[in-house]
Amino acid sequence: MAELEKEKEIEKSERSKIRESIKLRKEKEKVGAFEKPTVECPECGSRSLVQDYERAELVCNDCGLVVDSEFIDQGPEWRAFDHDQRMKRSRVGAPMTYTIHDKGLSTMIDWRNRDSYGKSISSKSRAQLYRLRKWQRRIRVSNATERNLAFALSELDRMASALGLSRNVRETAAVVYRKAVDMNLIRGRSIEGVAASALYAACRQCNVPRTLDEIAEVSRVSRKEIGRTYRFISRELGLKLMPTSPIDYIPRFCSGLNLHGEVQSKAVEILRQAAEKELTSGRGPTGVAAAAIYISSILCGERRTQREVAEVAGVTEVTIRNRYKELAEQLDIEIIL
Amino acid sequence: MNIIATTPAPHYRKAKPLAALLKVYKGLNTLNSVVIIMSEIYDPKKTIKIENVVASTAIGTSLDLPKITLQLDGADYNKERFPGVVYRTKEPKTAALIFGSGKIVCTGAKSIDDVHNGLKKVFSELKSMGVDVMDNPEIIVQNIVASADLGAVLNLNAIAIGLGLENIEYEPEQFPGLVYRIAEPKVVMLLFGSGKLVVTGGKKTADADAAVDKIVEELDGLGLL
Repeated sequence: MAELEKEKEIEKSERSKIRESIKLRKEKEKVGAFEKPTVECPECGSRSLVQDYERAELVCNDCGLVVDSEFIDQGPEWRAFDHDQRMKRSRVGAPMTYTIHDKGLSTMIDWRNRDSYGKSISSKSRAQLYRLRKWQRRIRVSNATERNLAFALSELDRMASALGLSRNVRETAAVVYRKAVDMNLIRGRSIEGVAASALYAACRQCNVPRTLDEIAEVSRVSRKEIGRTYRFISRELGLKLMPTSPIDYIPRFCSGLNLHGEVQSKAVEILRQAAEKELTSGRGPTGVAAAAIYISSILCGERRTQREVAEVAGVTEVTIRNRYKELAEQLDIEIIL
Repeated sequence: MNIIATTPAPHYRKAKPLAALLKVYKGLNTLNSVVIIMSEIYDPKKTIKIENVVASTAIGTSLDLPKITLQLDGADYNKERFPGVVYRTKEPKTAALIFGSGKIVCTGAKSIDDVHNGLKKVFSELKSMGVDVMDNPEIIVQNIVASADLGAVLNLNAIAIGLGLENIEYEPEQFPGLVYRIAEPKVVMLLFGSGKLVVTGGKKTADADAAVDKIVEELDGLGLL
């Protein structure tokens, strides 16, 4: 228990460090005074700066000014010319990840029958090695919790791949799922259901919300079950997720409809106004987003039919019609079809 | 001197009641005319309406359900669908679920009196069939569902943040209402964008009043009403 606590503590402190560094970077970007000199020559304003690793100098390619010197080369001290050499010289493994049940830290006996000198192993001990390999693989999953995690995380990865979600969403989903396991929330619920709702929560945490329908399509459980489990774990874990904003859906739906950026920004603008007039409260975000896209596509002369928009957004045409009437009326948008 | 007496027109209820009224009559409120607003400030507590009361009781003996179904007029018993007899009373309009263990649940009543009257009817029906019903079985109210109207449109997003995301549940994708659970009285409230709300989980009629009082106070404090 104490170890777990410690681990959590470390996790927390690491996260806060990362958060701080992000904050710092953002501040820097705001001030713009720290990073710019390294990309722009202070003398001639040229942007073509060259790092000379032999002399450890940052040199302006146009005027020859040495901008920085004795900088640290953070790369490896060895060189490799092909994959084999790289594999041989690299002393580290893959980075730690939450998406593998043992965080990718356990050892694996690889499939090559070669010893540490690169010599092939005699046929006598090959059978033994085969057995060792098998048991090593089995022993990686030590207890029921691990087995649960192994299954759930592979399921998470499968769903994330099917949805084309990025690395950080997968990591977040894995962290959410691990937290749920730590708090014994899985008991009485299906692993698939909790995994799917962890993914749904992670998408929202990363501001790339997917609808429940989209998640349900790639998972083995129903939309209802995912919604229920999501509500449960978000309450128990205190995820404190804001209700999704329709604006978050706009880019995805627009690209799904092959609409230009102009239509996108118009739709976002409509939604901003709608939010100000409290037209979005109690309405499904996807429906509102779909209606805004429908209106802006007409306004920008790139009309998409209600059916096309409905198809992409996963709502019905009736919903779009209702939302679109509300929006048009309340925001004084004249639409000539 | 003109005296104008008025009650608020229904559509002003949706806006902030008193303020809206004063604005409308400001033009008239000159030296020689006095505006008397007959109705007091809009009170959401007056709109509370009990929609459903659920109560349970036990008659103390086990029952032979198939036999009862045959004898009771209009009783419904389908073992595959539901393990109890569904018996609907007309006056008051309630539905009694009679189980084999002798426990009875009464739902659909609009008031606590209706529950008692409905169950009394069921008891007398059973007695006339020769079932020995306990004298005055204890009737326990399990749940009261009430609806009310706050009289102003609500910005649920703002309320979600105002009440604290850990205390509420608001998933417009799944349900248009905002779910707010409070401990004292222990009820669950569903707030809707139209300003209507549902209070459920209370055991007394006073619980709904207290809950509406509380939400009005909290929303007023947040400046969201």
